[in-house]
Amino acid sequence: MDLLNNLAFGFEHALTWQNLMYCAIGCVVGTLVGLLPGLGPLSTISLLLPLTYSIPTDGSIIMLAGIYYGAQYGDSVSAITMKIPHASSIVACIDGYQMTLKGKTGLALFTAGISSFIGGTVAILVLATLAPTLGEVALLFGPADYCALMLLGFVCVSFVTTGSMLNGLAMTLIGVLLGLVGTDVNSGALRFTLDLPFLADGVGLISVALGCFGIAEIVKNLDGGGEQTPFNGKIHLMPTWPEFKRIIPSALRGSVIGSILGLLPGGGPVIAQFAAYAVDKRFSKFKHEMGDGAIEGVAGQAAADEAAARTSFIPLMSIGIPENAVMALMMAAFIVKGVQPGPNMIANHPDLFWGLVASMWVGNCFLVILNVPLVRYWLSVFKIPFSVLFPGILFFCCIGTYSINNNLDDVYITAMFGFIGYMFMRLGLEAAPLMLGFILGPMLEEYFRRQLLISRGDFTSFLTRPISGSLLALIGVFMLWQIIAFVRQAKKGPVAA
Amino acid sequence: MNNLNLVRGLFLTLISLMFGLTSMTYSIGKLGKAGPGMFPLIVSGMLFMIGLATIIGSRYKLPVPISYNFKNIAVVLLGLCGFAIISHYLNMMAAILFLVFSTAYAAKSFTVVRNLKISAVLIAIAFAFKYLLGLNLPLI
Repeated sequence: MDLLNNLAFGFEHALTWQNLMYCAIGCVVGTLVGLLPGLGPLSTISLLLPLTYSIPTDGSIIMLAGIYYGAQYGDSVSAITMKIPHASSIVACIDGYQMTLKGKTGLALFTAGISSFIGGTVAILVLATLAPTLGEVALLFGPADYCALMLLGFVCVSFVTTGSMLNGLAMTLIGVLLGLVGTDVNSGALRFTLDLPFLADGVGLISVALGCFGIAEIVKNLDGGGEQTPFNGKIHLMPTWPEFKRIIPSALRGSVIGSILGLLPGGGPVIAQFAAYAVDKRFSKFKHEMGDGAIEGVAGQAAADEAAARTSFIPLMSIGIPENAVMALMMAAFIVKGVQPGPNMIANHPDLFWGLVASMWVGNCFLVILNVPLVRYWLSVFKIPFSVLFPGILFFCCIGTYSINNNLDDVYITAMFGFIGYMFMRLGLEAAPLMLGFILGPMLEEYFRRQLLISRGDFTSFLTRPISGSLLALIGVFMLWQIIAFVRQAKKGPVAA
Repeated sequence: MNNLNLVRGLFLTLISLMFGLTSMTYSIGKLGKAGPGMFPLIVSGMLFMIGLATIIGSRYKLPVPISYNFKNIAVVLLGLCGFAIISHYLNMMAAILFLVFSTAYAAKSFTVVRNLKISAVLIAIAFAFKYLLGLNLPLI
């Protein structure tokens, strides 16, 4: 009963004309920045933060939150239609882009929109009911536990890849190594920089993503003739009833996974999309279609991504710990407005907390209203012949990478990763696991070294902690299962690759 | 040698050796106080094992030939690098023109008028980015 009263109280604040307007602005801006490679929620929120001085506290927080979760949806559009992902839409490139190649872009975008809505709604329920207590879960995790969790994320890639598990793991490890390029945060030593000064800060995520996915895909299309256009004249937007029945369970699974993993600092939301995809690939009735344009491959990851984006607010609002860079900026916005996020926030500022929770659901509705009708306009991109379209995509890749640091060196790095991505593609190595390794690699090293420092070099400390021990045992069982399957296959004699 | 699995294994092994040998030039440290070289060395070691397993595994798989066409990737890379160089020494408007005209060679059809139209649209978009979104693009 308290929950309903609190939500009603929240909606009272969220549904004022002023807050509705700020929520709508946040969702629109978020969707737009999500569409453009290079412009993510982080840069947009940092640009808009000074503008919020003149906006009321609840309005500014609602707007900034809208930008964050609006961008989570917006970036899936570029991933599905052009295979140009952001960090939160890497998995959408797999089945989402395959659906585009089959002329089902409308259905893929609608599925992403509706699944995001489901994911967001489930996460808001979690946020409303468990926020005060659930934030403490993050405190239970130590460096060893985070290491084990990330390793579990790496093992998830064996499900994500359509080829062999070994290839997926190899690409993850390459991603980890690429993530280590730059200055070592502990010793200050420059690693793998080839004496190039612009590599001292490491390789940018956008450069790797655009190179390995966007540019490599463009060249692949050019190799195939260059006149491919998946638009078939008919816009298949609404799913049929059987398709809808496939979306719902997958979106619900993704929502639960995203809600849980979103709580964890660092790579939670990134792992969430991979984990949701892995679970779908294992438990979906249509698992044989995964990787080949299965609707579950879009639904599950979109729901997980959106749910994780919402629940990542829990550690910030309940214990005052921002779990990623965007949440750190949100924390700055709270503090600028004189609100200290933490255990007393709900008691001291109930209007702000419940107003924000309610506004997230209002924002969810805005995103559906905004994006579902727009799908027809996104599809009009495919009326343009590929030979006209691809210079434009390359232009957006250049502008996107340049505008991150206003540095043309990033364009060279993107070009280099375009070549590497093309090589990977021709060698049958998928880029999605590489992105997971690239994002989580530096964090994995940080936690790994910290745990060894705490335990004075005792490797068994990874096994003796209950959480990390359980996760590592799970990984062990899984690896054993894969090895047995491999040996059985090898005994059958030479097989096609 | 034209065997996809074998080349893939060799490629992975080469990458692992590149990173592994380089990481050995950094301080490895001790387990209790790991140096900057320890973690990359462990990861490269694992990658080396996978590369080796792939090479050995290629003996048990039917050979698959590799298909590649370096012309298109070379044209696209030339376009991107040219874009960066011209933006640096001249301006981004000229760079956009170069990008469109150079990469158009990779497409089946090439017409000057169409490329000029594409360039004009992209330059207009770049100006919109500069003056509406505030991006710092050296267009002029």
